[in-house]
Amino acid sequence: MADQMMAIAILLPVAAGFLVLAVRNYYVRNVIVIATAVVLIANSILLSLRGPFTYTPGGFDWGLLITVLDYAILIFYLYVGISLRNWLVLIFALTQILPLAYFEFVMKAHIEVAPAFVVDHLSLVMTMVISIIGSLICIFALRYMYDHEHHAHIEKSRQSRFLFWLVLFLGAMNGLVFANNLVWLYFFWEVTTLCSFQLISHDRTKEAIHNAARAVWMNSTGGTAFILAIIYLYATQGGSSALSMQSIIGGGIQSSIAVLPIALLCYTGFTKAAQMPFQSWLLGAMVAPTPVSALLHSSTMVKAGVYLVLRLAPVYAGTYLSTVIAIAGAFTFFATSALAVSQSTGKRVLAYSTIANLGLIIACAGINTPLSIAAAILLIIFHAISKGLLFLCAGTIEHQIWSRDIEDMEGLAAKAPLTTLITAVGILSMFLPPFGMLLGKWIALEAAYIVPLAAVFFVLASTLTIVFWTKWLGRLLQVLPKIERPFEKLSLSYSVPLWTLLTGIFVVGIGIGPIYQNFLRAATNDVVSGNQIIAVGLNNLILTTPSFMQRDILGLFPVWPLYLILIVALLMPLLLIRVKPKELRPVYMCGEQTGAIDTDEWLAEADRKTKFQLGGYYYQGTLGEKRINPWANAIAILLLVIMLGCGVIVL
Amino acid sequence: MMIKQFLFVLVILVGAPVVGGLLFGIDRRITARMQGRYGPPIIQPFYDFFKLLGKEHIAVSRLQFVWIYGYLVFMIASLIFLVMKSDFLLLVFLLGFAGVCLVLGGFSTKSPYAHFGANRELMQILAYEPVLLLLAIAIYAQNGSFLISEIFKQDKPLLFTLWPLFLAVLYVLTIKMRKSPFDISTCHHGHQEIVKGVTTEYSGPYLALFHLAEWYEIILLLGIISLFWTNPLWVGILIALAAFLLELFIDNITARMTVGWMVRLSWSVGLILGIINIAYIYYTKGVS
Repeated sequence: MADQMMAIAILLPVAAGFLVLAVRNYYVRNVIVIATAVVLIANSILLSLRGPFTYTPGGFDWGLLITVLDYAILIFYLYVGISLRNWLVLIFALTQILPLAYFEFVMKAHIEVAPAFVVDHLSLVMTMVISIIGSLICIFALRYMYDHEHHAHIEKSRQSRFLFWLVLFLGAMNGLVFANNLVWLYFFWEVTTLCSFQLISHDRTKEAIHNAARAVWMNSTGGTAFILAIIYLYATQGGSSALSMQSIIGGGIQSSIAVLPIALLCYTGFTKAAQMPFQSWLLGAMVAPTPVSALLHSSTMVKAGVYLVLRLAPVYAGTYLSTVIAIAGAFTFFATSALAVSQSTGKRVLAYSTIANLGLIIACAGINTPLSIAAAILLIIFHAISKGLLFLCAGTIEHQIWSRDIEDMEGLAAKAPLTTLITAVGILSMFLPPFGMLLGKWIALEAAYIVPLAAVFFVLASTLTIVFWTKWLGRLLQVLPKIERPFEKLSLSYSVPLWTLLTGIFVVGIGIGPIYQNFLRAATNDVVSGNQIIAVGLNNLILTTPSFMQRDILGLFPVWPLYLILIVALLMPLLLIRVKPKELRPVYMCGEQTGAIDTDEWLAEADRKTKFQLGGYYYQGTLGEKRINPWANAIAILLLVIMLGCGVIVL
Repeated sequence: MMIKQFLFVLVILVGAPVVGGLLFGIDRRITARMQGRYGPPIIQPFYDFFKLLGKEHIAVSRLQFVWIYGYLVFMIASLIFLVMKSDFLLLVFLLGFAGVCLVLGGFSTKSPYAHFGANRELMQILAYEPVLLLLAIAIYAQNGSFLISEIFKQDKPLLFTLWPLFLAVLYVLTIKMRKSPFDISTCHHGHQEIVKGVTTEYSGPYLALFHLAEWYEIILLLGIISLFWTNPLWVGILIALAAFLLELFIDNITARMTVGWMVRLSWSVGLILGIINIAYIYYTKGVS
C-alpha cells in the first residue's frame, strides 16, 4: 500500500504534468490540476499517518531510465550553454557530464542500492510541506497565469507549458526527499534544477533567460560537487553500498575518511539553498511569474538544499565542519537580513528574507544538537507556510496594482483591505510572537550558545528582521482617514490558497505542542540518530525538548496564552471599537490642508496646491547592495573555502 | 498556589502604573529643580492622564487605535512575564512586539511628523533590541536557562559576571525612557522636538493609553535592571532606582543626538560589551 502511495507522490505529478501539457482548454486544465492537488494533499497526509517505510521498485530497470534521463538533462544544459553563448553554463554542464561518464564507463560502476527509497519521519514532514503547500501554489497559478497573460497581451497561451513544469516540480521534490540511492537523489536534484530553469525563463525576456542561466550554472557547480562526492564515496568506501544515504548517516562508512564528500554534499546544499555567495540566482529568479517564486521559496528547490544539509547532520556532528556550517549559515542569516533593509521591491525583500531564514535553518543543522535540529524542522515548516502565503499575497497585490514596488503599496489598506489584512498577518507571522517562525528562532537561540559566534549573528539578524518587516508593513497599512470600504472580491483560485495558508499559520502555530509530540519529535529523532532506531522505536534517544514543550507534557501549555495576548491586543480592538466618521480628523499639517478630512493636498510654497507624499527609508548608503555585497560575499566565500578545507585537511 | 500567584500578578498590574506615574512625576520635579524651576506636583502625570481620558475621541486613521492598544497590551504582557518569572527571551520578544506596535501606529496615518517619529522609533528598536537579546543569551550562558526564576535561585548576583552588559543595558534604559541624548522618536520635557514625534497624531484618550503604557514600561525596565541583583531583591531595586536617577542626570546634561549616531554607538560599543561579556563566560564557564 505504502509503495503505491509513494508512486502517487512521485509519478502522479509527472503524469498530470504531461496531461496538462496536452490539454489546451483552460477549464479542463484547471480540473486536472485541482484534482492532482487534492490527491497529492490527501496522499501525503495518509502517507504520514502510515509512518516510515522502505521500498525498492522492481520489474523494470529504473536505474537505466534514470541514467538516460541524467544524460538527457545534462546534454540539454550543454545545448543551453552553446545556444545562449553562456560559457559558465557550458563549463559546469561539462564538469558534470564528464565525471558522470567517467564514473559509469571507465570505473564501470555497478550501482545497486537497496532499499532505493527510505521514507523516514523527516521525509514525511518534507513531503507534507511539498505536497500541501506546493499544490496550493499550483492552484493559485491557474488564475494567476491567466491574468498574467491577459495583462501582457500574450497571443499564444503558454500556460500549459508553465503548469507542466510547475506540477512536475512537486514530483521531483517528492522523489528527492524519498530517495536513498545517492545516484537517484542526484537525478531528482537535477530535475529540480531543470524545472527551475524552465520556470524562471518562462517569460522569455532577455533578463528572464539570463537569470535562468545563472540559476543553472550556480546549481550546476553544486551538481558537480554532488557527482564528485558520489565518485569519491564509491571509490574509497567499497562500491555501491556506500552510495546509500542510510549507510552514510548511519555511520556505515568510516566517518573520519568521509568528511570530504560530506563537505562537498553540504556545498551542494548551499548552492541550492542560495546561501551567500550564491544568493544572486534566487534573487534573479524573481523575474519569473510569482507562483514560481512562491514555489521555489516555500516548499521546493531551496528546501531541497536545507534538506540535504539537515539530513547529513549526524555524519558531521562534532567535527569542525559542523561549526563552520553553523557560522556560515548564521552569517548568511545576518548579511541577507541587513541587505533586505535596503530593498524597495517587495519580492526582493521576500527573497532576502528567504535566504536569511534558510541560513538560520542551516545554522541550526550546523549547531547539531537535538534541540537545534528540532528548531530547524520547525522553521522549515513554518517558513514554508508563511513564505508561501506571502508570495501568493505579493502576486495578488501585483495583479491589483500591477507593481512590485513597496512604495506603490502605500495605502493598500484603503484599496484592497482583504489582501492587505492577509498580507499583514503573513508578515507578522514571520517575525513576531506568538507565531511559529518566532518560536523556531526562540529555540534556535536557546540552542545556539554552543557556537557563540552564531548566536551573536542570530541576535543581530533577528533585530534587522524586525526593521525590514515593520517598514514594509508600515507602508501597506498607511491610510488616510477615509470611510471604510467593503472587502474586495478575489477569484477562488486566489482566495482558496490564501485562506488555507492563513488558517495553516494559526492551526500549526497553536497546535505546535501536539504536532511536535506526535510527529516532529520522531522526525528530529530520525535526523539526529541517522535513522538507526527506525524499527525499534523512538524513545531510545532522550530528546532535550524546548522548555515550552516540556511544560506541555505537564498540561500547562504556554503557547496559547501568547495567542490570547494577540487577541486581546489587536483582534479585540479591531473588532470591538469602531471609529465613528464624526471622530475622524485630518492629520497635523499646521492647518495647511485644503478641502475634506481625507485630503492629502496642502498648500506648498506660493500657496500652490500640492499632494504631499511620504516615502519609506531604505538606508541605501549604509546597507545597500553595493556597499555590503563585496564584503559579505568575500566573507561567505572564505567560509565556503574553510568548509571545504575542513574536508581536505581531515584527509 | 495558583490563586496566590494570580492575586500577586493582579496587584502588580494595578500597582505598576501608580508607581510608574509617580516616577514620572518625580522625574518632572527633579528635572525642574536641576533647571532652576519649581516644577509641577508629583501627581501631575495623573492629573494629565485623567484630563486626557475625559476628552473626546479623535482619530486620524481607522487603525491607529488598534496599534496603541497593542502597544499597551504587549507592554503589560511583558510585565506579566517578568512578574511570573517566566522566559526572559520571550519577554524581550514581546517587548519587541510592543515597540513594533508603536511604530506601526505612527505609520498608520498619512502624517509626515508621525512618519518621522515612527522611522526613528524603528531605529531605536534597532539600537536596543540586540543588547537585550545579548543579555538574554548571557543570562542563558550564566544559568543554563532563559527562565527568570532561575536567576532568583542563584546566590551570586548577575552583576558580578554581567557588568559589561549592565553598562550596555543602562543606555538601553536611556533609549527606552526617551531621555537625551536618545530622546529621538519623541521626548518628555519638550527638548527639541519635531512636533511630537511618533505620538503626534494621538490625542485625548488614545494619548492617555500611550502614557499608561509608558508607566508600565518604566516599571518593566527597572524590573529588568533589578534582575542584576536578585538576592536580596531590595539591592536590585535600589540599583534600578539609582539607574533611574542617573538617567535624569544624563538627560539634563546632554543634548539630543542623531539617529545614525545612536545606532552606530549601540552597534559598536554596546555590541562589543555584550560580545566580550558572553565570550568571557563562554571561556571561563564553558557550555553548561
